[in-house]
Amino acid sequence: MSTETMSATETASRPASFASSRRWLLWSGIAALCAWVLVPIYLVALGALGGRQGVYIWPKTGLPTGISLEPFILFLKTEGVVQSFLNSLGAAGITVALSILLGAPAGYALARYDFRGKDSYRLLVLLTRAFPLAILALPLTVSFIRLGLYDTIIGVGLIHTVLALPFAALVTQGIFLGVPKELEEAAWVFGCTRVQAFFKVVAPLALPGIVATAVFAFVISWNEVFAASVLTVRNRTLTAYLLTVLSESPMHYRFAGGLMLILPSVVFIFAVRRYLFAIWGISSK
Amino acid sequence: MKHIVSLTILASTVLAFASPVFAQTVFVSTQLRPIEEATVVRQDLLKDAGKVDYVVEEPPQFAVRMEAEAQAGKHTVSLVGALHGELSPLADKGQLEPLDELAKKLAAGGMPQSVLDLGKLGKPTQQYIPWMQATYVMAAKKEALQYLPKGVDINALTYDQLIEWGKNMQAATGQPQIGFPAGPKGLMARYFQGYFYPSFTGGVVRTFKNADAAAGWEKLKALWAYVTPNSTNYDFMQEPLASGEVMVAWDHVARLKNAISAAPDDYVVFPAPAGPKGRGYMPVLAGLAIPKGAPDTAGATKVIETLTTEKTQLLTASKVGFFPTLNVQLPPDLDKGVALLAGAVTKTQGSKDAVISLLPVGLGDKGGEFNKVYMDAFQRIVLQNEPVADVLAKQGATMAKLMTDAKAPCWAPDAKSDGACPVQ
Repeated sequence: MSTETMSATETASRPASFASSRRWLLWSGIAALCAWVLVPIYLVALGALGGRQGVYIWPKTGLPTGISLEPFILFLKTEGVVQSFLNSLGAAGITVALSILLGAPAGYALARYDFRGKDSYRLLVLLTRAFPLAILALPLTVSFIRLGLYDTIIGVGLIHTVLALPFAALVTQGIFLGVPKELEEAAWVFGCTRVQAFFKVVAPLALPGIVATAVFAFVISWNEVFAASVLTVRNRTLTAYLLTVLSESPMHYRFAGGLMLILPSVVFIFAVRRYLFAIWGISSK
Repeated sequence: MKHIVSLTILASTVLAFASPVFAQTVFVSTQLRPIEEATVVRQDLLKDAGKVDYVVEEPPQFAVRMEAEAQAGKHTVSLVGALHGELSPLADKGQLEPLDELAKKLAAGGMPQSVLDLGKLGKPTQQYIPWMQATYVMAAKKEALQYLPKGVDINALTYDQLIEWGKNMQAATGQPQIGFPAGPKGLMARYFQGYFYPSFTGGVVRTFKNADAAAGWEKLKALWAYVTPNSTNYDFMQEPLASGEVMVAWDHVARLKNAISAAPDDYVVFPAPAGPKGRGYMPVLAGLAIPKGAPDTAGATKVIETLTTEKTQLLTASKVGFFPTLNVQLPPDLDKGVALLAGAVTKTQGSKDAVISLLPVGLGDKGGEFNKVYMDAFQRIVLQNEPVADVLAKQGATMAKLMTDAKAPCWAPDAKSDGACPVQ
């Protein structure tokens, strides 16, 4: 709000060159920040499209040479890519839903109630992350086979929920602490029940933070490889199915895979950008 | 916006559950994992093998899965394709179906008995069917040949000559030009087990810490002065070769193939150097096995039969650079890069001073620790410059304990032993 008024008063009182240099500074800053994000993505795209030898050309021209879509086509033609993409979305969806449904109430309890063993509970929540998955993998897989969860997306979603829950509980605790208790009490005074007060007053205020938690949960599930590949055979997530082998593939495939990995995250973050901006205190209206 | 996000999540969840029904033979493989290779397997090699679901998996996950399926008693995997060393722990636990009938058929069909016997893993019955083989060679850019010391035959290189070559290249280009795959996923441990130790000491385990080994490590330190320090990041040497980071490299044939096939005229491929005890080399063998309790034994047998036909084996060689286990001649119109690699393999096997180093037998699931003993010695002696004698004494003790725990007898080139292989 104040940038324009400030610069307006400044233009009035100081030489014009100062204002223009300020503007120049602003725009070059914006350009630098955009370049910070866009140049690497551009270089990745260049590598992905340049074909097998394009990656090794030196010095780089900075312009695409001999565009080839071959790696992308091979990716998309690979049997089961579409299914594994859907599996990935499914597992991430379950993870997001469950970690919010279970994590947010836990976070609310940690923020609002005083109970015995609260601190140790908080520590215990984190403990699920203390054991490396590689050690738990064998007993976990055996019990998943016995429970019939082996090779299902629900199973993968459940494990990813376990990984995401500590973050969900602790992050939402911070968010609920940030919602003034007085507002909730005021709602009670005006006749809301506890549940109504939560949904009418607390939840809308906490929404941006909850969405950020969802982003975390989504990313955790999307990137997790070990559990997703041990617990499934045919119903692989995209990361487990295709992207783990990228590090062993020729360079242009790695770039192509990288580009394809960036896309869903960008789309998801774009979809929830309003809530993210809200936590950073920037209004996007 | 909120609705869109939640709807997307809901829709994708529902879609994921509506997955198609599978009625296929599940083939889990730790080999041919990279996307192009896997595509070749799916589209070309398994074309005539019926409905097969080819699933690739990294070795740690593979071990966990096989153990878990065996413990739970409910199997989804019908066929596994893995390295000799990865199959050996499964055989030790009795988790593999005997394949003697298939072996008999293949022996009649031209698979050498010596190769088939490796698939017994020291047991009375056939545990796996040899699928494809490979080995390790060196490759150099042709422009590096001008720095080769005068009068040196590249196909009979020694360590002293390699050091001098490296020195010349470094003097001319200002950069170390030799590379090794010593990165986290590189196969450097195999260099020590199959190349370095046999060449310098004539053994692998028995000779781990003797005077020959100490002299060898000193030589390696001298060589390392001309090896690029980036080597500890390299997993596959084809990339640094193709990008021009190094001119000379040692690696697995399948990990050099992409660079060489892309520009076969730019490279020479030749055997690894020889030390005082000869020219060590190590064959690599991948096998196919059927886990006990497999849901589709008939389908799995059919896949094995398809993959071991002469046609498929030759196709495998030309497409992915793994050589046949059948006794067949490679056709002259082979991919030019693969032909170069095959030539170097033949030269290695045929060289007068060749010392074959067999795959470790009887280590069971201790294969990873076995590799670590060599890599730790390498880290401490070469990278951290610790005194050779101290490190060898300490690592030698670790090795002796490992061998006693695994009760593994010696294998070639070490002399045979009664009981666990001793470290002398």
